[in-house]
Amino acid sequence: MDKFLILLLTGLTVGSIYSMVALGFVLVFKSTDVLNFAHGEFLMLGSYLALTFLVSWDLNIWISILIIAALICALGVGIHFGIMRPLIGQPLFSVVLVTIGIAIIIRAGLLIIYGPLERGRITQALPQSGFDVAGVPVPWVNMIMFVVAALSVLVFLLFFKMTRIGLQMRAVAENLEAAAAMGVSPNSVFATSWGIGAVMAAVAGVLYANYAPVIDLNLSAIGLRAFPAAMIGGLDSVGGAILGGLIVGVLEQLAAGYIGAEYRDVVAFGLMFVVLMVRPFGFFGKEDVIRV
Amino acid sequence: MAVPVLKSAPVLEVANLEVVYKNAVIALRGVSLTVAEGQVVAVLGANGAGKTTLVRAITGLLFVHDGAIRDGAILLRGEDLGRMSCAQIVSRGVCQVPEGRMLFPSLTVEENLKMGSMTRRDRAGISQDLERIYELFPILGDRRRQEARWLSGGEQQMVAVGRALMARPRLLICDELSLGLAPQIVETLFEMLARLNREDGLSVLLIEQNARMALEYAAYGYILETGRVVLDGPAPQLRDNEDVQEFYLGGGEHVSISYSAIKHYKRRKRWLS
Repeated sequence: MDKFLILLLTGLTVGSIYSMVALGFVLVFKSTDVLNFAHGEFLMLGSYLALTFLVSWDLNIWISILIIAALICALGVGIHFGIMRPLIGQPLFSVVLVTIGIAIIIRAGLLIIYGPLERGRITQALPQSGFDVAGVPVPWVNMIMFVVAALSVLVFLLFFKMTRIGLQMRAVAENLEAAAAMGVSPNSVFATSWGIGAVMAAVAGVLYANYAPVIDLNLSAIGLRAFPAAMIGGLDSVGGAILGGLIVGVLEQLAAGYIGAEYRDVVAFGLMFVVLMVRPFGFFGKEDVIRV
Repeated sequence: MAVPVLKSAPVLEVANLEVVYKNAVIALRGVSLTVAEGQVVAVLGANGAGKTTLVRAITGLLFVHDGAIRDGAILLRGEDLGRMSCAQIVSRGVCQVPEGRMLFPSLTVEENLKMGSMTRRDRAGISQDLERIYELFPILGDRRRQEARWLSGGEQQMVAVGRALMARPRLLICDELSLGLAPQIVETLFEMLARLNREDGLSVLLIEQNARMALEYAAYGYILETGRVVLDGPAPQLRDNEDVQEFYLGGGEHVSISYSAIKHYKRRKRWLS
C-alpha cells in the first residue's frame, strides 16, 4: 500500500510537469494549428539555463525562473514572428517539419554551449529534505514542483477565462475569421499563445532540473510524453491536457513500480493508442477539430 | 451606370473594385457603389455573384481566404480601407454581421457579445452597450451565461447582430441576415435595423438574397451578377423593374414550356425564399 502511495505521489508530481508541457503544446495548436515538435526542446532549454543560473551563478531559484521564463517567452514570440508568421498558409506538413528543424537547432546549440556530458540534477536550489504524509515520505522538491506547477496552471486558467486577451485567444481558436472580423489581430493572439506555451515549458524545465535523475540532451523526451497527455485529453482541450498530463504521470510511475522501469513509455503511448481507438478526438476534444 | 443622387456625403464609396483569389480567380470585376450617411443600401445577387467577397474586401478579411484587391478603391469618408487591418477598419466604425452568423460556439452569449467590443477601451461604455443589447433582445439577457451553440438559429442571429453593434459601428454590414431564419424573426431583425437607422442614423449595407425584404427596407439597391453591378437604382424603381421582378422577386408572368423558360423558372425559384 505504501508503495502504491509513493508511486501515486511521485506520479502526480511528474504528471504536473507533463500537464504544464501538454498545456503549452495544446495552446499553441489550438490557436495556431501548429503541432510544435520543438516544445520539449523549450523545456530542455529551461533546464540547461537553470544549470547556468542556479549552479554556475548561484542565483535564487524564483528570480531565475522569472528570468528564464522571460527569455524563453521571447524565443517563442520570436519564433512566431520570425518563422511561423511567414509560413502562414503553408501546408501543415511543412510547418511541422520546420518545428522539428527548430528542435534540432536548439539541441545543437545546447550541445555546442554545454557539451555532451550529462550533469547531475540541481541540488542546491531547493531543500533536499522531506516530510511524512501518513507514513509516506515526500521530498520537498516534489512538493514544491507540484505546487508551482499547479499555481502556474491556475494562473493561466484565470488569464484564459477572465482577461480580454484570454477571451481573444478562445475566440480565435473557435473561429479565426469571425475574430478577425471583430477587429482582433490574429497575429498578436498567435504570438501570445507561443509566448505562454514557451513560458509553461520553461518553468517546467527549471523545476524538472531539480528532479530529473540527470540533465542531458535526452531531457526533451518529456515533450514527447506531453504528446500522449495532450492526445488523451483531446488535442484541442486545455482542461483535457492538464488531466491527461496527470494521468500519464501516474500511470507511468505505477508501470515503472509494478512492472519495470522500461515499461514507462509503453504504458503512456499504449494508453494513447487505446484512447485514440475508442475516442479518436480524445476524452475532452471536440469531434470536429478542423476549423470550418 | 447612373450615379445615385445623394442627400448627404457618402460614408462608403467603393470604386471599380477588382478582387482576385489566389492570384487566379477573379471574384469582383470593377464594382462601384456608394452608401450615403444614414442610408440603408441593399446589394442583391445570386450565389457566387460576389456579395460575400465584397463584404470581405470592405472589412479587410480577404487575407483569410488568400484574396487580394487588385484594382480600385474602398473609401470610408475619403480614407482608403484597402490597406487597413481588420482592427483599424472596425475601430473606424465599420462592423459586420457575417454570413452564417459565425458565432464562437463554446463561448457564452455574453462573451460573444463582448468580442464585438475588442477595439474599444471604454469599460463603462462597453457595459452600458451590453445592457442596451439586452434591452433590444431581452431573450439574450436571459441566456447570457449559456454557450452560444445551444441557441436557436434566430437567437444566434440576434447575438451576431448584437456583437456587431457592440463595436458601435457607424456603418453596419449585414451579410445574408435573413438566410435560414423564420420570416417572423427576419422581420424582427429588419425592424430593429430600421429603428437603429432612424433613431441613431446608423448606415446599413444589406447584402441579401431575399430581394423582397431587402428592397422593402433599403432606399437604394445594387444588383450584382458574376462580379459586376448589372443594375442599380432607388429601391422602388428596382421593385418595379421587370427583370428584377422576374428574376429576383418571382413576379414574372412568362408561361411557356421552352427550355429557356425552365431555366428561368429554376433561377427564379432560388429567389422565392
